[in-house]
Amino acid sequence: MKSKPLVMDHFSTVHTSFIVNFRFTNNITILMGDSGTGKTAAFSFIRECMAVNPNILCINYLDYQSDIQDMIRRSDGKLIVIDNADILLNDDTRKYISLDDKNQYLIIGRNPKNLFATKENLFELVSKKMGEQTELTIKEYL
Amino acid sequence: MITIFKNRKDIPGDMEYVELNDLFFNQNTVSFIDKQAEKIIEMIDGSKLISKYKIYSRFDEIALDIDRLSTGCKTVLNVLYYPNKVFCLKECGNNALEILYHFENGHVFSEYALIPFIMDTVAVQSESGKKIINDYEELREWWDSEK
Repeated sequence: MKSKPLVMDHFSTVHTSFIVNFRFTNNITILMGDSGTGKTAAFSFIRECMAVNPNILCINYLDYQSDIQDMIRRSDGKLIVIDNADILLNDDTRKYISLDDKNQYLIIGRNPKNLFATKENLFELVSKKMGEQTELTIKEYL
Repeated sequence: MITIFKNRKDIPGDMEYVELNDLFFNQNTVSFIDKQAEKIIEMIDGSKLISKYKIYSRFDEIALDIDRLSTGCKTVLNVLYYPNKVFCLKECGNNALEILYHFENGHVFSEYALIPFIMDTVAVQSESGKKIINDYEELREWWDSEK
């Protein structure tokens, strides 16, 4: 589903030798791909930004016991980043996300079910060495 | 060969199902890590096992705690060291699935199809019993058939 990002079209941060540089073209970005590409590492760098950026909400398996949909429903104007999405998001929450017009999503998982996703929503992580630093970006998933 | 379940109710009562592979690995599997894990860690995460609790990261070339392995890699190692438990398959990338599907033992669960491009023979278990499948299309058909 093609829809413009509601909260931000660019997110960047630095964590020691890592640079995160994500450009969003859709309101729902599903970050998928092989294991071990650095998706969860990128999640942890974004989560660090929650300390100073009120527009970011990060959710992962540590929230397994929480009501994820309630957390999302209470959010407004946030980039909601969900790691471990394939075990955290039930069908009902996925449908809510697909229709949410208050928040933007970065979903780390491989199951696009009930998110009304098309290939325009699917992305993978790219890591590029730049001297001692590593830049993490996203590109369309083939 | 591994055994695949597509319905939680088909998992025998005496077998534990583990959904949170990260947590299970960090709390249990880690204590069994030995030489067997080396090749798996290198193939999936591109990291080098340097001691029981440390890996050498391919990203920043420093020693990291083994908890930094990917969830897919942890899932494969959970299945390797605990072949009598059933582990959630959903967080495995294709590279992890390819290794897992060549295991001689182990049990996994997912409601939807997760099949690597290159697969070996697997056993599937549902309420109609257990059967052996060695074909991608046949396995997809089993998974997609009525639950």
